[in-house]
Amino acid sequence: MRVRVSYDDEASDEALLAGVAVGDERAVLAFVRRYQRRLFGLALGIVGDPGMAEDVAQEAFIRILRHAAVYDVRRGSVATWTLTITRNLAIDAVRVRRPLPTAPEDHAFLALVSDERSPDDAAILSDAVTQARVALDSLPMDQRRAIVLAVMYGRTVAEVASLEAIPLGTAKSRIRLGLAKLRDAAAAEAS
Amino acid sequence: MSNTPEESVKCDAIGDDLIEFALGTLSGRRRSVVLDHLETCAHCDAESEALASVADSMLWLAPEAEPPLGFESRLIERYRSTEVRHASSSSRRRRVAVFALAAVLVAVLGIGIDAIVMSNERTNNNLATSRPLTGHLMADGSVVGQVSISSGHPSWMIMDVDAGYLSGAVWCEVTFANGRVETVGSFTLANGYGSWIAAIKDSGSRVRSARLVNSNGKVLAMATFAV
Repeated sequence: MRVRVSYDDEASDEALLAGVAVGDERAVLAFVRRYQRRLFGLALGIVGDPGMAEDVAQEAFIRILRHAAVYDVRRGSVATWTLTITRNLAIDAVRVRRPLPTAPEDHAFLALVSDERSPDDAAILSDAVTQARVALDSLPMDQRRAIVLAVMYGRTVAEVASLEAIPLGTAKSRIRLGLAKLRDAAAAEAS
Repeated sequence: MSNTPEESVKCDAIGDDLIEFALGTLSGRRRSVVLDHLETCAHCDAESEALASVADSMLWLAPEAEPPLGFESRLIERYRSTEVRHASSSSRRRRVAVFALAAVLVAVLGIGIDAIVMSNERTNNNLATSRPLTGHLMADGSVVGQVSISSGHPSWMIMDVDAGYLSGAVWCEVTFANGRVETVGSFTLANGYGSWIAAIKDSGSRVRSARLVNSNGKVLAMATFAV
């Protein structure tokens, strides 16, 4: 009986990426299956178009797979690394198409700032998602919106001010205070 | 963390640009000013890292969505086509050939094992730094497997063994350029076959050889990596 590396659900992200780095296609397939829904969901939320979201998610995967060998665990988790690459590609794609979207429907993730929660949310969310949700919910609503626009959509402070129809200084302070609270919450969680 | 007075002045001047820098939305000259400052200010550098980290953690909030039908197959096809153009892609095809050859050689040759050196596949030094080290695992002049070591942090080693005459527990050791030896792990061969993945504590790019030893410390097979 041949014994083989097992890339099942128990394999760590780092182990999968290591398999990818040495060209093991079993690891590639396992990695894609693990992350395709999350990467596509993030891309879709930012670009708002399924076709463009697929292009973004595919490009993100190709970049991740190509650069697996130089992934540095000191720069963050594999999951965060993959999400960041996807977010950046999606933002670039949107900026090429529309320099500054202003319609509310262009920012689907603003729904995340709502206080309403599905009863099933707690049961299905992973630890990382739950932590992010709790941290965001701890912010005042105006700071939540500013953070989502800046983080999820890559909006500059000036763009946030324009989208929210608020003075530049107000946008700056909402983002600064919101991020500071999130940072403090993360530090408290880690300690 | 405390700053010198000079650093504090610079920190104040950086102001909100540090936040936009951490969010990745700062560009042009303001970005290069922040970058210059971070080179000399550990406090702001740490602050920027912390802010970027919490910002990135928010990306988990994006709900998952089912990709369109055929997403996976289109991606894998694209990956394969890009890999064909990629120099390192030849390792997988070579691995198949190696095992086919090994099966023949192992069947013909006996157990007398010596450490035989064989250079790895790297031919393009400009690309070598980001490519995994790959070498053939040799025993008594025969290829009995393959070892690949990634260059990231941590570095990972994948070892495939196909030596029908070996069985039971074996240990894998790697030797670094400075002569230090690290035992990567203990593995079990079943009917001569085994395939493992394990982390290497030190930088994989500094590994110069990997060897398979038995419980008595006898070297069963060895792979070396050309610098």
